[in-house]
Amino acid sequence: MTAMQNDPVLTQILWNRVISVVDEAATGLIRTSFSSAVRDFHDFSCGLFDERGSLLAHSTKTTTAFIGVMPYVMRHFLDHFEAASLQPGDAMVTNDPWLGCGHTYDLCVASPIFHKGRISGYSICIIHHLDVGGRMATTESKDMYEEGLRLPMVKLYSGGRFVPVVERIIRANVREPDKMFGDLRAQLVANSVCARGLVSMLDDYGLDAASLCELSDEISRRSELSLREKIRELPDGTYRNDVTLPTIGGVSGIRIKVAVTVQGDEIVVDYDGSSGEVAAAVNVTFNMTRSYSMYPIKLALDPGIPNNEGSFRPVTVKAPERSLLNCKPPAPTWGRTMICHNLPEIIFGALASAIPDRVLAGSGATPLVFTYFRARRKDGRTYVGINSSMGGLGATARGDGPSCRGFPYNVGNIPIETVENDLPVVYLRKELLTDSGGPGKHRGGLGQEFEFEVADGDLAPVGPLVVSIRGSGRKPESPYPVFGRLGGGVGRGEGLTLNGVDLPHGPQQQLKPGDRLRMALPGGGGYGNPLERDEAAVARDVRLGKVTVEAAFTDYGIVIGADGRVDSAASVAERRRRLQPAQPLAASR
Amino acid sequence: MNGYRIGVDIGGTFTDFTMVDDGNGDVFVEKCLTTPDRPEQAVIEGIRRLAKVRPDALSKAETVIHATTLLTNVILERKGAVTGLLTTEGFRDVIEFGRELRYDIYDPFITFPDPLVDRPLRLGVRERVLVDGTVRTPLDEAGVREAARVFRDNGVQSIAVSFLHSYRSPEHERRARDILREELPGVEISISSEVHPEPKEYERTSTTVVDAYVKPTAAQYLEELSGKLRGEGYRHSLFVMMSNGGAATAETTKRFPVQAVESGPAAGVEAATHYGRLIGAPRILSFDMGGTTAKLCVVLDGKAERTRTFEVDRVQRFKAGSGIPIAVPVYDLLEIGSGGGSIARVNSLGLLQVGPDSSGSKPGPACYGRGGKDPTVTDADLLLGYLDAGSFLGGEMKLDVEAARAAMKERIADKLGMSVAQAAWGIHNIVNETMAAAARVHIAEKGQTARNLTLIGFGGAGPVHSVGLARKLGCPAVVIPPLPGVMSAFGLLTAPVAVERPRAVRKPLPLLDLAEAERTCVELEGEAAALLPPGSDIVFERTADIWRMGQDYPLEVSLPGKWTDAGARERVERAFDEQYELHYGRIDDETPLEIVTLRVKALRESAKPEVAAKAAAAMPKARNTRAVYVPARGDYEQVPVYERAALCTGARIEGPAIVEERESTTVIDRGDVLSVDRFGCLVVQLSQ
Repeated sequence: MTAMQNDPVLTQILWNRVISVVDEAATGLIRTSFSSAVRDFHDFSCGLFDERGSLLAHSTKTTTAFIGVMPYVMRHFLDHFEAASLQPGDAMVTNDPWLGCGHTYDLCVASPIFHKGRISGYSICIIHHLDVGGRMATTESKDMYEEGLRLPMVKLYSGGRFVPVVERIIRANVREPDKMFGDLRAQLVANSVCARGLVSMLDDYGLDAASLCELSDEISRRSELSLREKIRELPDGTYRNDVTLPTIGGVSGIRIKVAVTVQGDEIVVDYDGSSGEVAAAVNVTFNMTRSYSMYPIKLALDPGIPNNEGSFRPVTVKAPERSLLNCKPPAPTWGRTMICHNLPEIIFGALASAIPDRVLAGSGATPLVFTYFRARRKDGRTYVGINSSMGGLGATARGDGPSCRGFPYNVGNIPIETVENDLPVVYLRKELLTDSGGPGKHRGGLGQEFEFEVADGDLAPVGPLVVSIRGSGRKPESPYPVFGRLGGGVGRGEGLTLNGVDLPHGPQQQLKPGDRLRMALPGGGGYGNPLERDEAAVARDVRLGKVTVEAAFTDYGIVIGADGRVDSAASVAERRRRLQPAQPLAASR
Repeated sequence: MNGYRIGVDIGGTFTDFTMVDDGNGDVFVEKCLTTPDRPEQAVIEGIRRLAKVRPDALSKAETVIHATTLLTNVILERKGAVTGLLTTEGFRDVIEFGRELRYDIYDPFITFPDPLVDRPLRLGVRERVLVDGTVRTPLDEAGVREAARVFRDNGVQSIAVSFLHSYRSPEHERRARDILREELPGVEISISSEVHPEPKEYERTSTTVVDAYVKPTAAQYLEELSGKLRGEGYRHSLFVMMSNGGAATAETTKRFPVQAVESGPAAGVEAATHYGRLIGAPRILSFDMGGTTAKLCVVLDGKAERTRTFEVDRVQRFKAGSGIPIAVPVYDLLEIGSGGGSIARVNSLGLLQVGPDSSGSKPGPACYGRGGKDPTVTDADLLLGYLDAGSFLGGEMKLDVEAARAAMKERIADKLGMSVAQAAWGIHNIVNETMAAAARVHIAEKGQTARNLTLIGFGGAGPVHSVGLARKLGCPAVVIPPLPGVMSAFGLLTAPVAVERPRAVRKPLPLLDLAEAERTCVELEGEAAALLPPGSDIVFERTADIWRMGQDYPLEVSLPGKWTDAGARERVERAFDEQYELHYGRIDDETPLEIVTLRVKALRESAKPEVAAKAAAAMPKARNTRAVYVPARGDYEQVPVYERAALCTGARIEGPAIVEERESTTVIDRGDVLSVDRFGCLVVQLSQ
């Protein structure tokens, strides 16, 4: 029994405080970053650890990919570096996909936090850098050596300065070294803000490294107990799902098989029987598999408790060695999210029968769709940038899905005015896609359509604009496990074309001025029988141009008159007619 | 000056008034129930009450200045104008997309606020300006006229125009405005290149839409109120508090009402700043605790830092990203869900949690006896003896101690195996600790330490918690100014009349033409001065938004002196470096600086009222004693209760003690010493 266990008030206060500290670090990162990947896209996470490397808290703003990485990555650093060898002003770095975040683009920067002359904790800041050299952002890489610079665990910063030899090696290997070092500095800022926050907390409450460990144990214990209690409410048993994904990176027939076993207060997620490593650069390291397996469980069962070391103890994730979900070097991994973003919905599909009111229907832009761009400027410098866009979020037992939000990841779009400032493109449109939300008692969120043109004239690049589009077409006929729940329909609207011709996701394209790239991202899946959707809600959707008059009839059985009002009598009759057993739902589509 | 100045703060429940007689420094206070549908009624009612005390109040008033939550409420309740949005064709949904982020990855049932403009009233028009300001597609004027027809047919009362890259080239927006004016006389129009001429289409459009949405309401309300004030004999301009802490005339406010959306909190900071100056405390922590939230703000050398955006209508009040963004500078204050009404509960982890949700005024804390079953901070304060059941709000509202006790026992004490007193102290302590935790982060963010800050406490619940909060933070002293319950209204009288003009520059500091920068600042001074009511004694303040080239979040750096002074460039660089280190720590960086925006603020200080304290020097006498929980002892004891009105300058009280006034109560512990200074402030030196 420690002092912390005796003091629920102090525990809660200090717990809030450590979260504030990492959130403050995230703010420092955003404000000093040189890249829209951090500022707008929000592809980052900050974490705070005790002296043993146990996770106390990560930032509230975080991308989902890193939540299952954080509890492990600091330990990896401490396996490589003796704590005694670390000095104030030191920082360590790695982008090793297996130790860190699953591909070379994510750089983890870790710093010791000194308090009264000794190490009392550590902080980590992970961000996605847009370029780490190599052939850059394509599913075509055949092994990790094509995917840019791989930094083993090394000291990046020593005595308050970049380590000269490491700096020179990095600078010699990447396309935009100044920007990269700008962002590495922003990561150091995050760690410095985190250190300042932790030190002032220790001082304010008279704590030291040992009592921080006590706190860490106590919040971990409570978090673990909380999830265990929630798991115990589930009926014991094994919940299965078995899904074949659409063609990704030219590979067809990728199969994900999952068995979610609930026993007492523990869950085992086992991917035995899933596909092996593939030749395309979409292989998933185990740490990513873990992140995207834990997330849906937490989201469905115990969403209110902040993450830490204890959060995931009741959950064990297994995937066979050298399989697609537990690949080994030198497997190429750039587009890993094209696979692992599917895992939460596959798990929801398995658990849906047990907890139908806690899962989302499938979302329109799962996996994440975003585009890397690279070109030369007239002045010889490089253009490197991204855009991103979301489809509709799936509906739930409680309500409609919001339009244009991502799942299971959480990143933002890049403002059009920022993209056009960073890259030689001109947007032609970006609008909600009518009728794209999956019909249901609760409608899926709408997807979107956008189109851009490669700039011509003064703003044109020198040579081609190299583009790779991550994600995968989510076609309505794709056998997604939860894309539409309990009679709810699928989201619609998938399409990717270059000058009107269909284009696959994944491989690099070379675009020239005047080329037009158009993309439609589907809406989210619907939830429940659309014939039970509130009449007024359908009428509102029609008035707002989210659902057409025709779809109101076909999907929902609602008759809208020429005056734009619902013909209630006709609608009731139509719905009654369709609800006859002989007229199965969705036969019309 | 010999006239009066009147401050009016329209809040959710009460409309507060303060009036100062500049002839002799007398200050008068009034409070009326807010009349939400016609807020000017309560204003006139209160003004008439002031006129009963001083019949020449309005005819001799030099200034009436006011802050209001009216515009915020218009947005929250969706009671604004029928608003249309005209965008570049293909981009009408920008206000619905937002940034496409989920503000909480652990909320499967996440929702977002409804956009202020209905989709059928968002229209696109053919036109396109590129990032370099060149025109790719000329404005389709016939298309604008067609849009005008749709707006007219749908009864649109106000229009926002926001085209891509208009911050670089505003011509298309201006031309569209002129056409819409021709076609739709009497309809208000806001264009984004005037409201917020900065890149990032979502934030710019959102800000412009809010401006358009509240504009007719603001105009009508300000005209009616100005008219009624004239009817009461007032002869000057009506002033309105802006979000950034300056006051502007009603005429200026009507042009850009979005600037006045967040005016109430700014007034509180102004008041605290004023008292900080008065008592000679260079570094203060402004602490305003009301029924639902606490607001904290660090003010250094009379200046509070500002932030570039804020949000209204958050779906989750304390979750950033869940609301509608407004890109208008506001004081960078920290608002947390800790107020008198904050609800206490034992959470699923078996931990005691207070807030952030509040019982509001209905049903209110259990002790209000209006059916509230959840124990709140106010219930805890009552059970601890800090509040008195009989003298709350001067005795107008009797509190129900037994209801508070029952709620505390059932929902907290029994669950945690504690006594009611321990539970009540737990709540009081945790709400203080929650505020302290948030304040520490805020203080650290400003590069300060609490040991150097004087805490200035106000708001209904502020004085009850000020000393406890200060002790946790390590602030050496607490000041409770006179009239803590109406401080915001008082702050209106201390705020300068001010106008700010920005100019986008975007030049690397090493390449900045200093003579040209100086000319720009002088021009801005001219523009700003022209927007102030005529008169001399204008002071100019120059600042610059600066970042390292390639960043996106500038720091606002003060520019003393002229750009043409010797060493100006180096001085600016040094000032930036110092501020950068303060915020982010010491990270060596050679990246050149870029001047993003030059800003000039023209202001005229108002005469600062002083609330004169009575000067008798008799030893203060306690009115009575009551059983109060004394933390230093960990138990209740009989503690003397003083009436604030009876305390004179020079009075000295040793804790534990309670000082009561109508709208608030100050609590001090054993070892603390309270004295009354010549401004009537209660100054508490904390035992450490």
